[in-house]
Amino acid sequence: MQLISKSHIVKNNKTVANVNTALAAAACALLGTSPIVQADESVWEMDTALLYYGETDRVTAVEGVFSAKKDFGDEHIFSGKIVVDSLTRASASGAVVQLNAQTYTRPSGKGQYVIDVGDIPLDDTFHDTRVQLEAQWTQPLWNDMRGSTGVHLSKEYDYLSIAVNGSLTKDFNQKNTTVSAGLSLAFDTIDPEGGRPVAFSEMVIDEGQFANEEAYQAAFDATRQKDTDDKTTVDLMFGVTQIINRRMLMQFNYGYSMSDGYHTDPFKVLSVVNDKGLTQSLVHEDRPTERTRHSFYWQTKYALDSGVADISYRYATDDWDINSHTIDSRLRFNLSDNTYIQPHFRYYQQGAAEFYQPFLIKGITLLTFASSDYRLGEMTAYTLGIKYGVKMASGNEWAFRLEYYQQDPKNADFEAPGMLQQLDLYPSVKAVIAQVSYSF
Amino acid sequence: MANNLRHFLLSMLLTLISITPLSLSFAQEIAAPDFAISHDQLPNKLSDLNGQVVYLDFWASWCKPCRKSFPWMNQMQLKYAEKELQIIAINLDAEATLAKAFLDKVPALVPIVYDPKGKIANIYQLLGMPSSYLIDKKGNVRFADKGFFTRTQPLYEQELALLLNE
Amino acid sequence: MFKKARITVVIMLFTQLVGCANLGVQSWERDLLAKKEMTLDAEGIDLGLDDHIYFSKEATSGGRAFAGEGCGCN
Repeated sequence: MQLISKSHIVKNNKTVANVNTALAAAACALLGTSPIVQADESVWEMDTALLYYGETDRVTAVEGVFSAKKDFGDEHIFSGKIVVDSLTRASASGAVVQLNAQTYTRPSGKGQYVIDVGDIPLDDTFHDTRVQLEAQWTQPLWNDMRGSTGVHLSKEYDYLSIAVNGSLTKDFNQKNTTVSAGLSLAFDTIDPEGGRPVAFSEMVIDEGQFANEEAYQAAFDATRQKDTDDKTTVDLMFGVTQIINRRMLMQFNYGYSMSDGYHTDPFKVLSVVNDKGLTQSLVHEDRPTERTRHSFYWQTKYALDSGVADISYRYATDDWDINSHTIDSRLRFNLSDNTYIQPHFRYYQQGAAEFYQPFLIKGITLLTFASSDYRLGEMTAYTLGIKYGVKMASGNEWAFRLEYYQQDPKNADFEAPGMLQQLDLYPSVKAVIAQVSYSF
Repeated sequence: MANNLRHFLLSMLLTLISITPLSLSFAQEIAAPDFAISHDQLPNKLSDLNGQVVYLDFWASWCKPCRKSFPWMNQMQLKYAEKELQIIAINLDAEATLAKAFLDKVPALVPIVYDPKGKIANIYQLLGMPSSYLIDKKGNVRFADKGFFTRTQPLYEQELALLLNE
Repeated sequence: MFKKARITVVIMLFTQLVGCANLGVQSWERDLLAKKEMTLDAEGIDLGLDDHIYFSKEATSGGRAFAGEGCGCN
């Protein structure tokens, strides 16, 4: 049995407020920035989902999720999740488009691929399966306080990530205000096939200039670093959740993230072009070994008579000079007691990283770090989606989601030399997302 | 910086409050606030029930643990009926229709009093849902419980038995 | 330097909200807030899947939850 804190008595003069007796732990816990808020006692709640993500001509991914949650009594809640995803097809290598056919070496060193005239260079060997496991435990601690801790593991062919997290949450004002603080530590190891490339080393392309296979291999190996590398990330999160009135609640989060280690993408290259815009060589990219990020997040949920309106805004900034704004909104309309429809709109805008270069100009650009990964460049993106949910008589729920995601990379003030002026260096990326979920 | 000082003081105050030993005597006498009851099988006000042990339960259809409390209350009412126990379930739904839908699924053998505007809840300053108050034969509140858990049921019954045997 | 000042101001604004003791409802007025779809982790699966997609395709991650999720996706 938990004794009641006297904080409410301090404010209350009424006689009954002085009822000084032992109280059981709170029943209807409604708030919390901790991962788990509530679960039915002694029943496993399970959620499954299958998602398809497909870009036109580029990456396609299929992702399956299985998640289970149970309250073991008195709000001691366990939650576990397994995710398996599989990516295929082509992703942009970072090289710039040209008016002649180009030959590239695959990142492993084994084999080449040719890109046609005017096509964006995509390396289609990219094929990877990833497994992710998560477990989280939440329970009340003393006096209106909750604690949560968990582990997270993600493994793919060349990448391993292990993280642990812990957070504390406290309620004030009869659970109208909840404050939380969390910490997460992640340790990643990367071991790509073919080894990590040496920064700014030239891609070795066999066009018949090597005497034999060993000569080619020696030249290729010279551009490789033999050992694996890693990255450590420390995350801090502070959040406040506040009930505004009977229909509305808000959440504010501040996040701080510091990562140290290997941030470079070992598969991405930059084109070195001459003043006529013709590619002279391809060099491997290099990113800083440290990144500090801040994020500010605000979310509001409003209960309509037949539905929920949910809107959030996030501002993020970091020391790579990437600033971004995100607006995400969902509007749920209950069509009946058992069905609902939920349109979704998201808008995203980011500025380019300070070392982002769509290409390098031979002899002119001299940099410490450079990457032409368009995901670090200037862009706007929007998502339009719709979700339909239906609850069966058994209490189990089906949901279907269909979304369209478009990214529009922009030119962050780079003057394109020669023939590059006639080409579309910043093509849009268009993707369709389809998902089926089942909860039981 | 006035802001920093205020926050420091606030957190110190909260820390002090939360670590203050809460040694409480269960025999402390606080009179249960009176209120009017509108129910054909019950007297006009709470104080008219003096001489009986009264168990006040505040519930609502949207409150999940309330679903478990009703079977227990039904059981207690039957078990201790001749021992002068009166259980009153006070409903706080804004609309009575929701409460009635709940009662169709979860039958109640105890009398239901409707308080849609939360007037009685306000007098008692509930801290959570559900909340229950055990009032002894003299009309004093002796136990207050917030929430309802199946594993604390024996304890709730012990409290009842204690007051009934006084 | 302006960035640091801006960040400090926003953090202080956030901490001020802990003093919002006047906002809120009584525990018996939580009928609408108690609905499953009003909890902050409603649709947690969707949010997790979306976070993963946007983390892989954009430069920003986190905000709602921890930023360093950890995968070799970008």
